[in-house]
Amino acid sequence: MAAFFPPYVHRCALITGGAKNDRYGEFTIMGHSPKFQPLPPVSPSPRLLWWVVLALALGGCMPAVVPGGQRSLNSRYTDEQPALSADGRFLALISNRNGRREIFTYDLQQKQLVDLSGLNRFGTMPESPSLSYTARYIVYLTTSQARPALVMYDRILGQGQILYQPYEGSIRHPRVSPDGRYIVFETSMRGQWDVAVIDRGPNIELDVPDGLPLEEPITP
Amino acid sequence: MKRFTWITVLAAASFQLGGCTGAPQMLNFPFDPGGRSLNSPADELSPNIAGRYVVFVSDRFGRQDVYLFDGVNRKLVDLPGLNALDAAAEDPAISQNGRYIVFAGTRGGVKDIYLYDRTTSQLRNLTENLNAIVRRPTISADGNTIAFESSANGQWDILVINRNGQPLEVPTTPR
Repeated sequence: MAAFFPPYVHRCALITGGAKNDRYGEFTIMGHSPKFQPLPPVSPSPRLLWWVVLALALGGCMPAVVPGGQRSLNSRYTDEQPALSADGRFLALISNRNGRREIFTYDLQQKQLVDLSGLNRFGTMPESPSLSYTARYIVYLTTSQARPALVMYDRILGQGQILYQPYEGSIRHPRVSPDGRYIVFETSMRGQWDVAVIDRGPNIELDVPDGLPLEEPITP
Repeated sequence: MKRFTWITVLAAASFQLGGCTGAPQMLNFPFDPGGRSLNSPADELSPNIAGRYVVFVSDRFGRQDVYLFDGVNRKLVDLPGLNALDAAAEDPAISQNGRYIVFAGTRGGVKDIYLYDRTTSQLRNLTENLNAIVRRPTISADGNTIAFESSANGQWDILVINRNGQPLEVPTTPR
Protein backbone atom coordinates (compact mmCIF):
# COMPACT_ATOMS: atom_id res chain seq x y z
CA MET A 1 0.00 0.00 0.00
CA ALA A 2 2.75 2.43 0.94
CA ALA A 3 4.49 1.89 -2.34
CA PHE A 4 1.53 3.36 -4.23
CA PHE A 5 1.26 6.68 -2.42
CA PRO A 6 3.60 9.65 -2.32
CA PRO A 7 5.17 10.30 1.08
CA TYR A 8 3.01 13.33 2.07
CA VAL A 9 -0.14 11.25 1.97
CA HIS A 10 1.54 8.90 4.36
CA ARG A 11 2.28 11.77 6.72
CA CYS A 12 -1.26 12.99 6.53
CA ALA A 13 -2.53 9.61 7.40
CA LEU A 14 -0.13 9.44 10.29
CA ILE A 15 -1.08 12.83 11.69
CA THR A 16 -4.82 12.48 11.43
CA GLY A 17 -4.56 9.03 12.76
CA GLY A 18 -6.15 6.97 10.04
CA ALA A 19 -7.98 6.98 6.73
CA LYS A 20 -11.48 6.97 8.19
CA ASN A 21 -11.44 10.56 9.36
CA ASP A 22 -14.52 12.12 7.73
CA ARG A 23 -14.81 15.24 9.86
CA TYR A 24 -13.92 17.32 6.78
CA GLY A 25 -14.98 14.73 4.28
CA GLU A 26 -14.71 16.85 1.17
CA PHE A 27 -11.00 17.51 1.76
CA THR A 28 -9.82 13.93 1.74
CA ILE A 29 -7.25 12.98 -0.82
CA MET A 30 -7.91 9.45 -1.99
CA GLY A 31 -9.55 8.57 1.28
CA HIS A 32 -7.06 10.43 3.51
CA SER A 33 -7.42 13.84 5.11
CA PRO A 34 -4.73 16.38 3.99
CA LYS A 35 -2.29 17.86 6.44
CA PHE A 36 -3.65 21.44 6.35
CA GLN A 37 -7.21 21.43 7.54
CA PRO A 38 -9.31 24.58 6.94
CA LEU A 39 -9.72 26.60 10.10
CA PRO A 40 -13.19 26.84 11.60
CA PRO A 41 -14.76 30.31 11.04
CA VAL A 42 -13.70 32.88 13.65
CA SER A 43 -16.03 35.76 14.63
CA PRO A 44 -14.35 39.20 14.79
CA SER A 45 -13.59 40.64 18.16
CA PRO A 46 -16.69 42.42 19.52
CA ARG A 47 -14.59 45.33 20.76
CA LEU A 48 -13.24 46.00 17.26
CA LEU A 49 -16.79 45.80 15.89
CA TRP A 50 -17.96 48.46 18.32
CA TRP A 51 -15.14 50.80 17.32
CA VAL A 52 -16.13 50.44 13.67
CA VAL A 53 -19.79 51.15 14.45
CA LEU A 54 -18.81 54.20 16.51
CA ALA A 55 -16.59 55.58 13.73
CA LEU A 56 -19.36 55.17 11.15
CA ALA A 57 -21.90 56.82 13.39
CA LEU A 58 -19.63 59.77 14.12
CA GLY A 59 -18.55 60.67 10.63
CA GLY A 60 -19.40 58.14 8.02
CA CYS A 61 -22.59 59.18 6.30
CA MET A 62 -23.52 62.36 8.06
CA PRO A 63 -25.83 64.54 5.90
CA ALA A 64 -25.31 68.28 5.71
CA VAL A 65 -27.79 69.69 8.19
CA VAL A 66 -28.00 72.85 10.14
CA PRO A 67 -26.78 72.02 13.66
CA GLY A 68 -29.71 71.95 15.99
CA GLY A 69 -32.00 72.46 13.04
CA GLN A 70 -35.61 71.68 13.54
CA ARG A 71 -37.62 69.08 11.75
CA SER A 72 -40.70 71.14 11.00
CA LEU A 73 -41.06 73.21 7.88
CA ASN A 74 -42.72 76.07 9.71
CA SER A 75 -41.71 78.07 12.74
CA ARG A 76 -43.58 80.35 15.09
CA TYR A 77 -42.34 83.28 13.03
CA THR A 78 -43.16 84.36 9.51
CA ASP A 79 -42.39 81.71 6.91
CA GLU A 80 -43.20 82.90 3.43
CA GLN A 81 -42.37 83.06 -0.27
CA PRO A 82 -42.12 79.33 -0.95
CA ALA A 83 -40.32 78.10 -4.08
CA LEU A 84 -40.04 74.45 -5.09
CA SER A 85 -37.22 72.77 -6.95
CA ALA A 86 -38.21 71.07 -10.19
CA ASP A 87 -38.19 67.57 -8.75
CA GLY A 88 -40.32 68.72 -5.83
CA ARG A 89 -37.70 67.69 -3.27
CA PHE A 90 -36.46 71.05 -2.00
CA LEU A 91 -38.45 74.03 -0.85
CA ALA A 92 -36.85 77.43 -0.42
CA LEU A 93 -38.49 79.91 1.89
CA ILE A 94 -37.91 83.18 3.67
CA SER A 95 -38.17 82.88 7.42
CA ASN A 96 -37.71 85.11 10.44
CA ARG A 97 -36.98 82.23 12.81
CA ASN A 98 -33.45 83.31 13.72
CA GLY A 99 -34.36 86.88 14.48
CA ARG A 100 -33.62 88.14 11.00
CA ARG A 101 -34.87 87.47 7.52
CA GLU A 102 -33.03 84.57 5.97
CA ILE A 103 -33.36 82.07 3.16
CA PHE A 104 -33.83 78.48 4.24
CA THR A 105 -34.04 75.40 2.07
CA TYR A 106 -36.04 72.50 3.39
CA ASP A 107 -35.59 68.96 2.12
CA LEU A 108 -39.09 67.53 1.80
CA GLN A 109 -37.75 63.96 1.56
CA GLN A 110 -35.31 64.01 4.47
CA LYS A 111 -37.63 66.38 6.34
CA GLN A 112 -34.88 68.69 7.53
CA LEU A 113 -33.19 71.94 6.63
CA VAL A 114 -30.28 71.99 4.20
CA ASP A 115 -27.01 73.71 5.03
CA LEU A 116 -26.58 76.92 3.05
CA SER A 117 -23.26 78.17 4.34
CA GLY A 118 -22.22 81.52 2.98
CA LEU A 119 -25.66 82.50 1.79
CA ASN A 120 -27.17 84.44 4.64
CA ARG A 121 -24.61 87.10 5.40
CA PHE A 122 -25.18 89.59 8.14
CA GLY A 123 -26.71 92.85 7.01
CA THR A 124 -28.41 91.64 3.87
CA MET A 125 -32.11 90.98 3.56
CA PRO A 126 -32.90 88.39 0.91
CA GLU A 127 -36.21 88.22 -0.87
CA SER A 128 -38.00 86.08 -3.46
CA PRO A 129 -35.85 82.94 -3.56
CA SER A 130 -36.24 80.42 -6.34
CA LEU A 131 -34.56 77.09 -7.05
CA SER A 132 -33.20 75.24 -10.05
CA TYR A 133 -33.80 71.55 -10.74
CA THR A 134 -31.92 69.92 -7.86
CA ALA A 135 -31.64 73.17 -5.88
CA ARG A 136 -28.06 73.70 -6.99
CA TYR A 137 -28.74 77.32 -7.96
CA ILE A 138 -30.66 79.61 -5.62
CA VAL A 139 -31.58 82.93 -7.20
CA TYR A 140 -32.83 85.70 -4.96
CA LEU A 141 -33.10 89.43 -4.66
CA THR A 142 -31.19 91.51 -2.15
CA THR A 143 -29.96 95.04 -1.76
CA SER A 144 -26.32 95.95 -2.20
CA GLN A 145 -25.09 99.52 -1.86
CA ALA A 146 -28.67 100.82 -1.86
CA ARG A 147 -29.45 99.19 -5.19
CA PRO A 148 -31.44 96.01 -5.76
CA ALA A 149 -29.23 93.13 -6.81
CA LEU A 150 -30.02 89.80 -8.40
CA VAL A 151 -27.85 87.16 -6.74
CA MET A 152 -27.25 83.59 -7.79
CA TYR A 153 -25.96 81.25 -5.09
CA ASP A 154 -24.29 78.03 -6.18
CA ARG A 155 -24.82 75.34 -3.57
CA ILE A 156 -21.91 73.24 -4.87
CA LEU A 157 -19.44 76.13 -4.80
CA GLY A 158 -21.00 77.45 -1.60
CA GLN A 159 -20.90 81.05 -2.75
CA GLY A 160 -23.07 83.59 -4.47
CA GLN A 161 -22.44 86.25 -7.07
CA ILE A 162 -24.37 89.25 -8.27
CA LEU A 163 -25.84 88.52 -11.68
CA TYR A 164 -27.52 91.82 -12.38
CA GLN A 165 -27.70 95.13 -10.59
CA PRO A 166 -29.32 97.97 -12.52
CA TYR A 167 -28.01 101.50 -12.17
CA GLU A 168 -31.47 102.95 -12.67
CA GLY A 169 -34.88 101.62 -11.94
CA SER A 170 -35.79 98.69 -9.80
CA ILE A 171 -36.19 94.96 -10.16
CA ARG A 172 -38.51 92.56 -8.41
CA HIS A 173 -39.56 88.95 -8.13
CA PRO A 174 -36.78 86.94 -9.87
CA ARG A 175 -37.39 83.33 -10.86
CA VAL A 176 -34.79 80.94 -12.23
CA SER A 177 -35.66 78.38 -14.89
CA PRO A 178 -35.32 74.72 -13.81
CA ASP A 179 -32.06 74.21 -15.73
CA GLY A 180 -30.58 77.37 -14.21
CA ARG A 181 -29.90 79.12 -17.53
CA TYR A 182 -32.63 81.78 -17.59
CA ILE A 183 -33.85 84.19 -14.96
CA VAL A 184 -37.07 86.15 -15.38
CA PHE A 185 -37.89 89.16 -13.24
CA GLU A 186 -39.87 92.36 -13.20
CA THR A 187 -38.07 95.49 -14.25
CA SER A 188 -39.21 99.10 -14.05
CA MET A 189 -37.01 100.26 -16.88
CA ARG A 190 -39.92 101.41 -19.05
CA GLY A 191 -41.61 103.27 -16.20
CA GLN A 192 -43.91 100.38 -15.32
CA TRP A 193 -43.45 96.77 -14.42
CA ASP A 194 -42.32 94.71 -17.38
CA VAL A 195 -40.91 91.23 -17.73
CA ALA A 196 -37.21 90.84 -18.49
CA VAL A 197 -35.26 87.66 -19.16
CA ILE A 198 -31.56 87.12 -18.51
CA ASP A 199 -29.74 84.37 -20.38
CA ARG A 200 -26.65 83.08 -18.57
CA GLY A 201 -25.32 81.73 -21.83
CA PRO A 202 -24.69 78.29 -23.27
CA ASN A 203 -21.44 77.70 -21.38
CA ILE A 204 -22.80 77.37 -17.85
CA GLU A 205 -23.23 74.11 -16.00
CA LEU A 206 -26.91 73.35 -16.37
CA ASP A 207 -28.65 71.87 -13.37
CA VAL A 208 -30.22 68.97 -15.25
CA PRO A 209 -30.30 65.40 -13.94
CA ASP A 210 -28.69 62.70 -16.06
CA GLY A 211 -30.90 61.21 -18.72
CA LEU A 212 -33.27 64.14 -18.98
CA PRO A 213 -33.53 65.50 -22.52
CA LEU A 214 -32.37 69.08 -22.87
CA GLU A 215 -34.95 71.76 -23.45
CA GLU A 216 -34.90 73.86 -26.56
CA PRO A 217 -33.27 77.18 -25.59
CA ILE A 218 -35.40 80.27 -25.93
CA THR A 219 -32.39 82.30 -27.02
CA PRO A 220 -32.78 83.16 -30.71
CA MET B 1 6.12 88.21 -39.28
CA LYS B 2 5.28 84.68 -38.20
CA ARG B 3 4.46 85.81 -34.65
CA PHE B 4 2.18 88.52 -35.98
CA THR B 5 0.25 85.94 -38.00
CA TRP B 6 -0.23 83.77 -34.93
CA ILE B 7 -1.54 86.69 -32.90
CA THR B 8 -4.03 87.51 -35.64
CA VAL B 9 -5.22 83.92 -35.82
CA LEU B 10 -5.61 83.71 -32.05
CA ALA B 11 -7.54 86.96 -31.89
CA ALA B 12 -9.84 85.85 -34.68
CA ALA B 13 -10.44 82.53 -32.95
CA SER B 14 -11.27 84.18 -29.65
CA PHE B 15 -13.74 86.50 -31.36
CA GLN B 16 -15.31 83.55 -33.09
CA LEU B 17 -15.58 81.55 -29.88
CA GLY B 18 -17.50 84.14 -27.95
CA GLY B 19 -15.91 87.52 -27.99
CA CYS B 20 -19.07 89.25 -29.12
CA THR B 21 -21.65 87.33 -27.06
CA GLY B 22 -21.71 88.60 -23.52
CA ALA B 23 -22.17 85.56 -21.32
CA PRO B 24 -25.03 86.84 -19.16
CA GLN B 25 -27.12 88.81 -21.61
CA MET B 26 -30.58 90.32 -21.50
CA LEU B 27 -32.91 88.75 -24.02
CA ASN B 28 -34.90 91.07 -26.24
CA PHE B 29 -38.46 89.95 -26.57
CA PRO B 30 -40.60 92.11 -28.86
CA PHE B 31 -42.61 94.84 -27.20
CA ASP B 32 -46.12 94.91 -28.61
CA PRO B 33 -48.49 97.82 -27.92
CA GLY B 34 -51.40 95.61 -28.99
CA GLY B 35 -50.76 93.17 -26.14
CA ARG B 36 -49.86 90.12 -28.23
CA SER B 37 -46.34 89.68 -26.90
CA LEU B 38 -44.51 89.37 -23.61
CA ASN B 39 -44.49 93.06 -22.76
CA SER B 40 -47.19 95.62 -23.40
CA PRO B 41 -47.94 99.18 -22.26
CA ALA B 42 -49.75 97.66 -19.26
CA ASP B 43 -48.24 96.05 -16.17
CA GLU B 44 -46.61 92.65 -16.35
CA LEU B 45 -46.25 91.10 -12.91
CA SER B 46 -44.74 88.06 -11.17
CA PRO B 47 -43.22 86.20 -14.11
CA ASN B 48 -42.30 82.56 -13.76
CA ILE B 49 -40.25 80.48 -16.18
CA ALA B 50 -40.14 76.72 -16.74
CA GLY B 51 -38.61 75.35 -19.89
CA ARG B 52 -39.84 77.37 -22.86
CA TYR B 53 -42.80 78.92 -21.07
CA VAL B 54 -43.02 82.21 -19.25
CA VAL B 55 -46.23 82.66 -17.31
CA PHE B 56 -47.14 86.04 -15.86
CA VAL B 57 -50.00 88.30 -14.84
CA SER B 58 -50.93 91.37 -16.86
CA ASP B 59 -53.73 93.91 -16.84
CA ARG B 60 -53.35 94.72 -20.52
CA PHE B 61 -57.02 94.24 -21.34
CA GLY B 62 -58.43 95.94 -18.28
CA ARG B 63 -58.43 92.87 -16.05
CA GLN B 64 -55.68 91.21 -14.06
CA ASP B 65 -55.35 87.95 -15.97
CA VAL B 66 -52.84 85.14 -16.44
CA TYR B 67 -50.90 85.04 -19.71
CA LEU B 68 -48.59 82.38 -21.08
CA PHE B 69 -45.72 83.23 -23.41
CA ASP B 70 -43.94 80.61 -25.48
CA GLY B 71 -40.29 81.66 -25.64
CA VAL B 72 -39.41 79.41 -28.57
CA ASN B 73 -42.30 80.39 -30.84
CA ARG B 74 -42.27 83.92 -29.38
CA LYS B 75 -46.00 84.32 -29.04
CA LEU B 76 -48.74 84.10 -26.46
CA VAL B 77 -50.48 80.79 -25.87
CA ASP B 78 -54.24 80.69 -25.51
CA LEU B 79 -55.56 79.61 -22.11
CA PRO B 80 -59.26 78.86 -22.57
CA GLY B 81 -61.26 78.78 -19.37
CA LEU B 82 -58.54 80.11 -17.09
CA ASN B 83 -59.34 83.79 -16.82
CA ALA B 84 -62.81 84.75 -15.65
CA LEU B 85 -64.54 88.11 -15.70
CA ASP B 86 -65.23 88.01 -11.96
CA ALA B 87 -61.80 86.83 -10.80
CA ALA B 88 -58.45 88.55 -10.41
CA ALA B 89 -55.37 86.36 -10.77
CA GLU B 90 -52.05 86.68 -8.99
CA ASP B 91 -48.73 84.85 -8.75
CA PRO B 92 -48.95 82.22 -11.48
CA ALA B 93 -46.51 79.33 -11.79
CA ILE B 94 -46.19 76.65 -14.45
CA SER B 95 -44.83 73.13 -14.73
CA GLN B 96 -42.01 72.47 -17.18
CA ASN B 97 -44.12 70.60 -19.75
CA GLY B 98 -46.49 73.55 -19.77
CA ARG B 99 -49.46 71.48 -18.69
CA TYR B 100 -50.24 72.72 -15.18
CA ILE B 101 -50.62 76.35 -14.16
CA VAL B 102 -51.22 77.21 -10.54
CA PHE B 103 -52.24 80.69 -9.41
CA ALA B 104 -54.03 82.59 -6.67
CA GLY B 105 -57.43 83.80 -7.79
CA THR B 106 -59.73 86.17 -5.94
CA ARG B 107 -63.38 85.56 -6.58
CA GLY B 108 -66.23 86.98 -4.53
CA GLY B 109 -63.84 88.37 -1.91
CA VAL B 110 -62.23 85.00 -1.26
CA LYS B 111 -58.74 84.17 -2.43
CA ASP B 112 -58.02 80.55 -3.32
CA ILE B 113 -55.32 78.52 -5.03
CA TYR B 114 -56.44 77.29 -8.43
CA LEU B 115 -54.88 74.62 -10.62
CA TYR B 116 -55.40 74.82 -14.36
CA ASP B 117 -54.81 71.82 -16.63
CA ARG B 118 -54.00 72.92 -20.17
CA THR B 119 -54.76 69.56 -21.77
CA THR B 120 -58.30 69.42 -20.40
CA SER B 121 -58.80 73.20 -19.95
CA GLN B 122 -60.16 72.44 -16.49
CA LEU B 123 -59.83 74.75 -13.53
CA ARG B 124 -59.82 73.32 -10.02
CA ASN B 125 -59.95 75.05 -6.66
CA LEU B 126 -57.36 73.38 -4.41
CA THR B 127 -58.14 75.27 -1.18
CA GLU B 128 -61.91 75.19 -1.13
CA ASN B 129 -62.02 73.59 2.34
CA LEU B 130 -59.15 75.53 3.86
CA ASN B 131 -60.49 78.27 6.09
CA ALA B 132 -57.59 80.69 5.74
CA ILE B 133 -56.16 83.34 3.52
CA VAL B 134 -53.79 81.80 1.02
CA ARG B 135 -51.30 83.43 -1.31
CA ARG B 136 -48.16 82.96 -3.41
CA PRO B 137 -48.63 79.47 -4.81
CA THR B 138 -45.79 77.70 -6.60
CA ILE B 139 -45.59 74.41 -8.45
CA SER B 140 -42.57 72.18 -8.96
CA ALA B 141 -41.46 71.87 -12.58
CA ASP B 142 -42.49 68.20 -12.68
CA GLY B 143 -45.98 69.35 -11.79
CA ASN B 144 -46.45 67.07 -8.78
CA THR B 145 -45.96 69.36 -5.78
CA ILE B 146 -47.62 72.67 -4.93
CA ALA B 147 -46.63 74.97 -2.07
CA PHE B 148 -48.32 78.15 -0.87
CA GLU B 149 -48.60 80.45 2.11
CA SER B 150 -51.49 80.14 4.51
CA SER B 151 -52.60 82.21 7.46
CA ALA B 152 -54.38 79.36 9.22
CA ASN B 153 -52.16 79.58 12.32
CA GLY B 154 -52.47 83.33 12.73
CA GLN B 155 -49.20 83.99 10.91
CA TRP B 156 -47.79 83.11 7.54
CA ASP B 157 -46.87 79.47 7.23
CA ILE B 158 -46.16 77.27 4.25
CA LEU B 159 -48.31 74.33 3.25
CA VAL B 160 -47.23 71.68 0.75
CA ILE B 161 -49.79 69.63 -1.16
CA ASN B 162 -49.74 67.34 -4.14
CA ARG B 163 -51.64 67.95 -7.34
CA ASN B 164 -54.78 66.30 -6.01
CA GLY B 165 -54.92 68.66 -3.06
CA GLN B 166 -53.71 66.15 -0.44
CA PRO B 167 -51.12 67.45 2.05
CA LEU B 168 -47.66 65.91 1.79
CA GLU B 169 -46.14 63.85 4.61
CA VAL B 170 -44.14 66.78 5.96
CA PRO B 171 -44.29 68.22 9.47
CA THR B 172 -45.74 71.69 8.96
CA THR B 173 -46.87 72.51 12.49
CA PRO B 174 -45.14 75.70 13.65
CA ARG B 175 -42.51 74.87 16.21
